[in-house]
Amino acid sequence: MDAALEVVLRLLGNPVVQSSVLPLLAGLACAALLYPLRLEGLAALAGFLAAVAAIGNFGLEPLTATRKIVLTGAAAAVIGALSDFAFKSSRFSGPMLGAIFGAAALWVFATVLRQKAPLDMVMIGGGVVLLTVWLVMATVSLQLDAARAGAAGLMLGLGAGVSAVLGASALIGQYGMALGAACGGFLLLLLALGPRVGAGHALTLTVAVLSALLAAASVLLAQVPWVAVVALALVPLAARLPLPGTPLWMQPVLAAVYSAVPAAGACVLVWLQSRGWTL
Amino acid sequence: MQRFTLGALALALPLAAAAAPESYTLDPYHTYPHFGVDHFGVSLMWGRFDKSSGKFTIDRAAKKGTLDLTVETASLNTGDNDKGARPRSRDEHLRSADFFNVAEFPRMTFKASDVTFNGENPAEVTGELTLLGVTKPLTLKIERWTCREHPFNKKPMCGGNASASLKRTDFGMKYAVPAVGDEIRLYVEFEGYKD
Repeated sequence: MDAALEVVLRLLGNPVVQSSVLPLLAGLACAALLYPLRLEGLAALAGFLAAVAAIGNFGLEPLTATRKIVLTGAAAAVIGALSDFAFKSSRFSGPMLGAIFGAAALWVFATVLRQKAPLDMVMIGGGVVLLTVWLVMATVSLQLDAARAGAAGLMLGLGAGVSAVLGASALIGQYGMALGAACGGFLLLLLALGPRVGAGHALTLTVAVLSALLAAASVLLAQVPWVAVVALALVPLAARLPLPGTPLWMQPVLAAVYSAVPAAGACVLVWLQSRGWTL
Repeated sequence: MQRFTLGALALALPLAAAAAPESYTLDPYHTYPHFGVDHFGVSLMWGRFDKSSGKFTIDRAAKKGTLDLTVETASLNTGDNDKGARPRSRDEHLRSADFFNVAEFPRMTFKASDVTFNGENPAEVTGELTLLGVTKPLTLKIERWTCREHPFNKKPMCGGNASASLKRTDFGMKYAVPAVGDEIRLYVEFEGYKD
């Protein structure tokens, strides 16, 4: 028994397991367990939080930007789940949620922005808000299409994560990849059960907020260039590309392939920047 | 009587001046905090901060003193600045949110006003270290202390070497513990010119 526990603990201490296998399994388990309650969209948060717990870097003191991202992501999932049940989605949902989490993004990065000169503070703060509002609006609009929403979440997370690792922050990288893996767990349930599985605001808002904040953090706290984040922001658009005549089981796969293009582009841009290339 | 008082005051004046607190400004070119941390249980890796500033005061008669040290965390240097074929160097990684998070917390400070003496010389300085927004008590042990005139510019100067030990997780720097050790050995060489 002790030997088995030791193996599990050793596995949980492995960064690759922490940011891929564990969140994938946690996302899948959460989606499967909460599917009867129509809360399977919480898979993104479950997988992400499983990784946060395993990585063990979380705490409220000091409340750094990275830790505020975890709290804001959790709030997004709760608000998303509540809005799935309490409100009928309208064309104002995206802009309204975008505005709320755009303001939250300023809170997340307040300590970083305060270090900047006034003009930089406005420019960078504006960029962070714009990125968050855009990703929330673009991703939340996929909430009725679980295949596209899951695929966008998978690639937003992986793109943000790999970019951050290349940009010198393993922690932000692990968080991003965990988000992607958690969405992978959601997609596995979708592949198993078909279109009865729904993403809703619970998944799309969580994915949008976390990926926007992680991408912004990789710029502000590591060395990812803004141009890579712009490429990453195209993921929800790529996920909307048509899937003509595609069998149901193939739709998430094809949407993921579409979404992978801008996500991979973001990673390539970070790599090029690390080699001295500038736009 | 008045003449006697004035005479006594004139005699006492140099003694009073010698007993007054003296203030020193740290010389940034001869003041460097170094840190050592265990790496995978294999070796003790060393790094230092290239930029720091501050002041200290010493009152030998009253056996009191203060120290105010500010370290620019972005100036850390572990000798790995060239990323070569890798996407980033170790120093870039150490500056990121995983470790020193320099964009969010660009300075580390140590403020102390509790100095214990061993004879004429300070032996320990106890104060508060602020790192990553967390403030914790820390005692610097003064291992070497010398005051003299600078051999070239003739300015009065004091300096020496100090050391301390802290746990980085106490300051919220939890990433990669225990692979990268929790305990940080801190060594500071410092020199200051009298104001």
